Amino acid sequence: MVDILTITAILIGFYVAWNIGANDAANSMATSYGSRALTLKQIIIVASVLEFLGASLFGYRVTYTVAKGIVPIDMLNHELVVLGALSALISAGFWITVATYYRLPISTTHSIVGAMLGFGLAAVSQRYIELEQIKWYVLLKIVLSWIISPLLGALMAFLTFMLIRVLLLEKFRTEKVEGVFRYLQVLTACYVAFAHGSNDVANAVGPIVAIIGCKSTPYWVLVLGGLGIAVGVATWGYRVIETVGKNITELTYTRGFSAEFATATTVLIASSLGMPVSTTHTIVGSVIGVGLAGGLASVNLRVVYKIVLSWIVTVPIAAALTISIYTVFVAFV
Amino acid sequence: MKFFRSIIEIFGYSPFNALLRHAKLCGRAVGLLQQQFDAYRRCDFDEVERLRDEIDELEHHADLIKEEIRGNVSKSLMMPVDRHDLLEFLRVQDDIINYCEHVGHMLTFKKIKAPEDIWNEFEILLSKIMETVNEYEELVNHISRLIETSFSKREIRDALEHVPKVERLEHECDQIQIGLHTKLFNSEMNPVDIHLMVEWVVHLGHIANSVARAADRFRIMVLGR
Repeated sequence: MVDILTITAILIGFYVAWNIGANDAANSMATSYGSRALTLKQIIIVASVLEFLGASLFGYRVTYTVAKGIVPIDMLNHELVVLGALSALISAGFWITVATYYRLPISTTHSIVGAMLGFGLAAVSQRYIELEQIKWYVLLKIVLSWIISPLLGALMAFLTFMLIRVLLLEKFRTEKVEGVFRYLQVLTACYVAFAHGSNDVANAVGPIVAIIGCKSTPYWVLVLGGLGIAVGVATWGYRVIETVGKNITELTYTRGFSAEFATATTVLIASSLGMPVSTTHTIVGSVIGVGLAGGLASVNLRVVYKIVLSWIVTVPIAAALTISIYTVFVAFV
Repeated sequence: MKFFRSIIEIFGYSPFNALLRHAKLCGRAVGLLQQQFDAYRRCDFDEVERLRDEIDELEHHADLIKEEIRGNVSKSLMMPVDRHDLLEFLRVQDDIINYCEHVGHMLTFKKIKAPEDIWNEFEILLSKIMETVNEYEELVNHISRLIETSFSKREIRDALEHVPKVERLEHECDQIQIGLHTKLFNSEMNPVDIHLMVEWVVHLGHIANSVARAADRFRIMVLGR
């Protein structure tokens, strides 16, 4: 039974990874396509390879947080953890699919964190653990990182573009500056893909690690997640890149560089601290930062409300869904 | 496209291209007006009416652009210029083409015979207005460069150099108008014809005036960031 459930979890985890590659990875790369720093083909290759590398080489910290940082799984018996983590994965996968269908700007990170919290609460309601034993302190840090990451992205993008503006655009011919940044943007595109892979792979494989129950994260799980993301970029992400990229043509190389550099740095810092943050929300923060520095013709701030709303909604929905699925599992399995 | 989560929405509506298109329509309308006066002088009144319709169409097109901008530039947009400054600039720029439309219609009210020297003066006035609006278009043309350079000091300076030129040309239009008024009031023409031609001159003056005011609003918009 446990074997079947583990295989199911691996399949769903792969699907979530695929979805992350198809949408979120594609979004983080679309800024490079919008400025035409790379062709679509080049972007897909760069994204697949670097997402994979980021996930497999640097994804373990965040994965650990998702797997063991929220629910004290060492205190629960193995079968329970399998059911709970599987419920969380199904719940997050389902919510991500629904939200994607309705084109809501939700975050896979928020979904999985909400879902794992739901698993913890279900365990509490069954009196396997006490409410205080859920790692609220880690959860608080995660929520703080959700607030800080878009702000840090905005600040860094603002400073980066301001520097470019004052030191380069004021002094040299625009065409010359943009020409140099065309090449630099190829590097930041890689940087973003790597950072994104390192942080978002956990959303897909964190629960799998909980299910397997190893002391440390097995390498093959990260490889599996990285592969899922890469496949997602290659099989569906290119459409997203194309559509988004077509609509953001005003993003020139200097602007794309600033936004990408800020996003990747923020997300990579979060990864090294083991904090699961939303890359998409960080990009939005960074774009606003470039806009505040006078870099963009128009930034639509209404999106910010939508994002805050999707945040507030995602965590309880994912949690509630997990509790429901878990209850069904416990009744029938 | 379904199954799609994206960040597209963060990139808002940008009105600057539309502003430029609107400015170009104003320039074209003045060009047509010049042709209309030529046709009138040749007594080709069919052509005069045809050109009136063509100017009407341009004005309608300009209105659509104006509405597009007003409908999309909402408070939630963060732009490199102040929203009110931008909308005020658009309003004044729109006056240029509105006055072109007025004059276009006034030319079809009556068939007037006028002495050659008055027609010559009109020709001079029209070409001076054309010159003014051409200079103005060059000013507005800088908008995309201004955005590309994030309003670098050099680019602002290059752009705003056109503003005093527009103002000087508008002043020259004023001088020609004064001369034309004097000529008209002292001519032997029938008083009703004089009245109508004076109206033309006054409204042509409004066109030149609006061009100068729009240039000024452009400067306010660029400097008021």
